Amino acid sequence: MSCSPHDLRDYILKELDAGARSQVERHLRTCGACRLEAERLRLTEAALHSLRDEEIPTRIAFVSDKIFEPSLLLRWWRAGWAPAGVLIAAAIVFAAVYRPAPVAVQSALNPAQVRAEIAREVAQAVAAVEERQARRTAELLAAAEKRYALERQADRLAAEEAFMVLQKRLNVSYLASNYAGATQ
Amino acid sequence: MIFRAVEDADLIRKACRGDVEGYNLLISRWEKRVYNYLLRMVANREDALDLTQDVFLKAYQNLRKLDDPARFPAWLFRIAHNEAYSMFRSQKPETAVMPEDRAADVFPIELALAVSSALERLSPEQREAVVLKIYQGFKFDEMAAILGCPVSTVKSRLYTALDLLKAELAPVNRAG
Repeated sequence: MSCSPHDLRDYILKELDAGARSQVERHLRTCGACRLEAERLRLTEAALHSLRDEEIPTRIAFVSDKIFEPSLLLRWWRAGWAPAGVLIAAAIVFAAVYRPAPVAVQSALNPAQVRAEIAREVAQAVAAVEERQARRTAELLAAAEKRYALERQADRLAAEEAFMVLQKRLNVSYLASNYAGATQ
Repeated sequence: MIFRAVEDADLIRKACRGDVEGYNLLISRWEKRVYNYLLRMVANREDALDLTQDVFLKAYQNLRKLDDPARFPAWLFRIAHNEAYSMFRSQKPETAVMPEDRAADVFPIELALAVSSALERLSPEQREAVVLKIYQGFKFDEMAAILGCPVSTVKSRLYTALDLLKAELAPVNRAG
């Protein structure tokens, strides 16, 4: 049992304030038993420190993960933009409430004139479309007739050629039969 | 130490805003201490590394609940303490490794082995008190916050542990 004014373990563990430490140090100069006890504690602490810290085998690091990241709105809120947002919202509400009423603009044309103008424009547009369709139909007909004429000419030429071939075969048969009669 | 505290506070604020790189920087400043605390608690490198990762994940998920960034070290070690005890509770007796085997695996040097064996013979609460005080340098009130108990309990555990260690390590010291 120590007779020190303060616990020697607190002294070794540096948990005493400066005044208490001085008291213990003065006591240790005069008390051999406490000095021995303090020395044993100091040696125990030193032995404990022979265990060195190890390096961590694998460094720890995280990658950005949307699950744990705060939302954009939340980060915006936390970043201190909330007052600005409140001001903008207030400005929008103010503008909506105190917006000047729209002024009615009088038209220079009367409704009958407008209707007549629309009818005339529509008639012009319809006429233009019909003319364009008629022109397109005529072009298609002309192209079809031209294609038909070319096909007829090709058929006629093919028939003439077939006829000539047939005639040549007949001539060859005729000459062959005459030659056979002469040799017999 | 003051600079470190200031920088930690800055990194904590960045991490709270979703800056993962800021949090990774904070991890790099604390991972070795947390790992060694857990290594001395569980005496197994793989378990200590797994627990360290869990500690920093839980810390990130709960970082916004930390009111005072100055309390970060004690708060972080409180999470580590909870993780270590969760693992102790989940370990089945038949799968638990005997302390002597683990000590030989972790610290090969003779004196370190003797110290390690002496630490292993302490109760988990006494060992944790020694680790937090001797190896991590926490004050009694910080230890009380980490362990969730009164300062008187912290001192009682630590003093008992120191007395046991002193008796155990004295032959080693005289021989050395």
